[in-house]
Amino acid sequence: MAGIGFELRRILKRDNLSSLIGAYGLASIISSGPWVLSVLGVMLIGIVSLSLSVRDIEIIQFLVSVTYLMAISLTLSGLFQHVFTRWVADRLYEKRNDLILPNLMGVLWLSTLLALAGGLPAILFLLPDTSVLYKLLMLANFVVLCNVWPVTIFLSGMKSYGLIVALFAVSYTTAIIASLLLARFGLEGLLGGLLLGHGLLLFSFLFTIIRQYPSDNPVGFDFTRRSQIFPALIATGLLFNAAVWADKFIFWFHPDTSQHVIGTLRASAIYDLSIFLAYLAIIPGMAVFLVRMETDFSEAYDRFYSAVREGDTLARINGFRDEMVRVARSGIYEICKVQSFTLIILFIWGDELLSAIGISTLYLPMFYIDLVSVSMQLILLAIQNVLFYLDSRHINVSLCVIFFSSNLIFTLVTIELGASFYGYGYAGATFLSSVIGLALLSRKFDLLEYETFMLQGR
Amino acid sequence: MIGRKPVPESPIADITLLLEGTYPFVRGGVSSWVHQIITGLPQYRFSLVFMGGDRNHYDKQQYELPDNVVHLECHYLMDNLADAKPKPSKGKRTAFDTQRKLHDQFRSNESVPAGVLSQALRDLGRKAGISKEDFLYSQESWQMIDESYRQYCTEPSFVDYFWTIRIMHAPLFRIAEIARNIPATRTVHAISTGYAGLLGAMLNDIRGVPFILTEHGIYTKERKIDLSQAEWIRDVSDKVSTNLNDQLGYIRQLWIRFFESLGRLAYQQADPIISLYLGNQQRQLVDGADPARTHIVPNGIDPQRFEGALAARPKDVPMVMGLVGRVVPIKDIKTFIRAMRSVYEVVPNVEGWIVGPEEEDPAYVTECRELVSSLGLENCVKFLGFQNVNDILPQLGLMVLTSISEALPLVILEAQATGLPCLATDVGACRELIEGGTDEDKKLGCSGAIVPIADPEATAREAIRLLLDEPLWTQASAVGLRRVKRYYTLDAMFDSYRTIYDTAISTGYRED
Repeated sequence: MAGIGFELRRILKRDNLSSLIGAYGLASIISSGPWVLSVLGVMLIGIVSLSLSVRDIEIIQFLVSVTYLMAISLTLSGLFQHVFTRWVADRLYEKRNDLILPNLMGVLWLSTLLALAGGLPAILFLLPDTSVLYKLLMLANFVVLCNVWPVTIFLSGMKSYGLIVALFAVSYTTAIIASLLLARFGLEGLLGGLLLGHGLLLFSFLFTIIRQYPSDNPVGFDFTRRSQIFPALIATGLLFNAAVWADKFIFWFHPDTSQHVIGTLRASAIYDLSIFLAYLAIIPGMAVFLVRMETDFSEAYDRFYSAVREGDTLARINGFRDEMVRVARSGIYEICKVQSFTLIILFIWGDELLSAIGISTLYLPMFYIDLVSVSMQLILLAIQNVLFYLDSRHINVSLCVIFFSSNLIFTLVTIELGASFYGYGYAGATFLSSVIGLALLSRKFDLLEYETFMLQGR
Repeated sequence: MIGRKPVPESPIADITLLLEGTYPFVRGGVSSWVHQIITGLPQYRFSLVFMGGDRNHYDKQQYELPDNVVHLECHYLMDNLADAKPKPSKGKRTAFDTQRKLHDQFRSNESVPAGVLSQALRDLGRKAGISKEDFLYSQESWQMIDESYRQYCTEPSFVDYFWTIRIMHAPLFRIAEIARNIPATRTVHAISTGYAGLLGAMLNDIRGVPFILTEHGIYTKERKIDLSQAEWIRDVSDKVSTNLNDQLGYIRQLWIRFFESLGRLAYQQADPIISLYLGNQQRQLVDGADPARTHIVPNGIDPQRFEGALAARPKDVPMVMGLVGRVVPIKDIKTFIRAMRSVYEVVPNVEGWIVGPEEEDPAYVTECRELVSSLGLENCVKFLGFQNVNDILPQLGLMVLTSISEALPLVILEAQATGLPCLATDVGACRELIEGGTDEDKKLGCSGAIVPIADPEATAREAIRLLLDEPLWTQASAVGLRRVKRYYTLDAMFDSYRTIYDTAISTGYRED
């Protein structure tokens, strides 16, 4: 997200309350991740269609279907997420802008092929007793989502944030309106509306990107060259997304905690609602994280590496290292502060909040622990981001392995322990990974000069 | 150093020559000398270890190897600094401590205690000591670079310092590898200090092979000149400093000290340490060579080759002054031309011949020719280009050498062999060749005259004296002939080296 730093700094330079709010607002929209916004959109569709003549069961089927689409497509695009971002950054550094567009098309082709290869058997074998139209809409939605995620990576290179936010808004408004108009066709109608919205999002982004990156070649696969990619980044992207969804999948398929919804898809009423709701609580922390990372940290990082490259004294290089450590530390502190504040508010009003949106307050204890877990997951994300800056690919893979396996194990254990422990598995996994992440990051900073100089080209 | 085992395999060579950037890939004085030694001593089997910097600079072999060369291997020290992917490691604390001790000794300009040196040399390139990977990637190595930079480096750029240290030391690991792998030999003979000298020192220490060192020029001094002019070193020098050392940046000084240290290591391990003439021997002593081990073996010529030219010499002294050498600034041809002007005032029928190739520095040649015409000497000074010395020398009345730097110029030996008096600047071995080196040698008398560098007046004065005073000329001619036949023959040189080789070989692997 190189470009956003400039934008944020520009806004922050005006130095008044409204610009501060503006910067954090922008940061929260950009950073919350398209998928938080998508969750919001999808929930809106669900909530609004409640008031229409759609049967409850169909709304649940819709929400669960979309959740599966999101989970699997996000995990699949995790394959490209970091490795392709890095590839693009390297090419931009080499000033090979002409390679960008063909390779994005390459990624989309590959992504589409993978989506079809996985999606076709899935709709044939995993969705028995559903209509052909439902199956086709699921496949179409899946393919589109698998394309939407890689395209959003290109948010990074773009400076036209206003346009991006507007496109998101327009697309989801379209999705909501279309779903509601098609609501009379039931489940298939809602899925059709969503497809329309995501399709619009995909093509409008593509339109913007194609205008920005001119190229003579229609498609390229340079990003698959072994010499230009880092396999560790593929593993990181895949594992992180898999880790984030691991506990959910366990809850969906464990007989004690799940119900059949549609086809072979199951859901966990007890688990899903509070965790997805909790995810919305990380928006403030995300915004802070983005502002700190993209302004202060990236400046500190640039100062350090310019000092290294341009022949500064070792004492000053050490000084810039310390400065970078200080900025990273205060960034993580700030996320803690903002999240704690958000959590306190939600703890106080959680009761009223759940009642207001019609969820039983029985969910409250789990909602609380979920709020803690997602905040810790945000800290893990921040740590991983710093590590990406420092190019510690292997530490990041290890962290993802820890996150994934601990989430798997802890979640299974908590299910055995009983309902009052639900949610603690995920909390334990995020806590363990964040603590290990902090320790590894601290060690990384200690060895930074050694590794920067002695191990370059690693 | 107890329990050193003799090399198990039987030596394939009597003498292994360590050649840095010379024979058989580069032509020049040192290379001809090496070729002479190999062909002149056919009873020994020679093995050649050539070391160059960049592989691309040495494409074609310039000499056909004589039959008694049994082995040739070439190494390029600038090849692949790092061939593997960097892998983090800790490094061995003790091995780096040994290096710290070694470097402290280098900094204090003292000779390194034998134990420390031996340990340092043995550690180099070994897993149990400091492997190349340890040097390039280990934390201990980083620690040492960090410390040294903080303590000693006076230039700001750490990245420059860092890469200098890396590039400087990387070839040492290559050399350690060569030292462990070259075929067994009875003795090793390095033709310079520097990397070749270090290889000699390592072979001597690790494999117990007697180590002979011969220096033609003084490597360290030559490196110093190169380095103070090298453009690849970025300077942060301050232009107001008064002395040269202040003006040389830290990085330059680091390189110079590096080669000085290599030189000192070679002097510490080599026996004998041979130079061509007294002046260079004194430099070696200043640079830390043990006086008991230094010897002089001058270059030689074959006087028989010049008997024809000697016989062809006319009865009267030809009024011709000759400068035989390349037309390049280091020969200071302009001083010769200016001196000709003054001689011409006194001896109107005098001629000045400049005999030597003119391709190397065309701009300088042009300047010289312009100087000739501006002094009105067109009829007096002639540029003859490259000529056969045997044809030229009998036609000359005086050999003049105005160089600002020389080692042991063969032209003086050749001139003396044809009975031609010489007038030379006080550089290199010139004074020894003309006035005599040892006391016994001095008793022979003068075969010409010595003048300061860049002094046309003194040059002209001495030239007039030698050309016009016939008894003096005749005496100088006879002295030169006697001196060259007594001290500077090829046979004498071969005899010296035969003795040196035999002594070294009979010493065998030292047990110390």
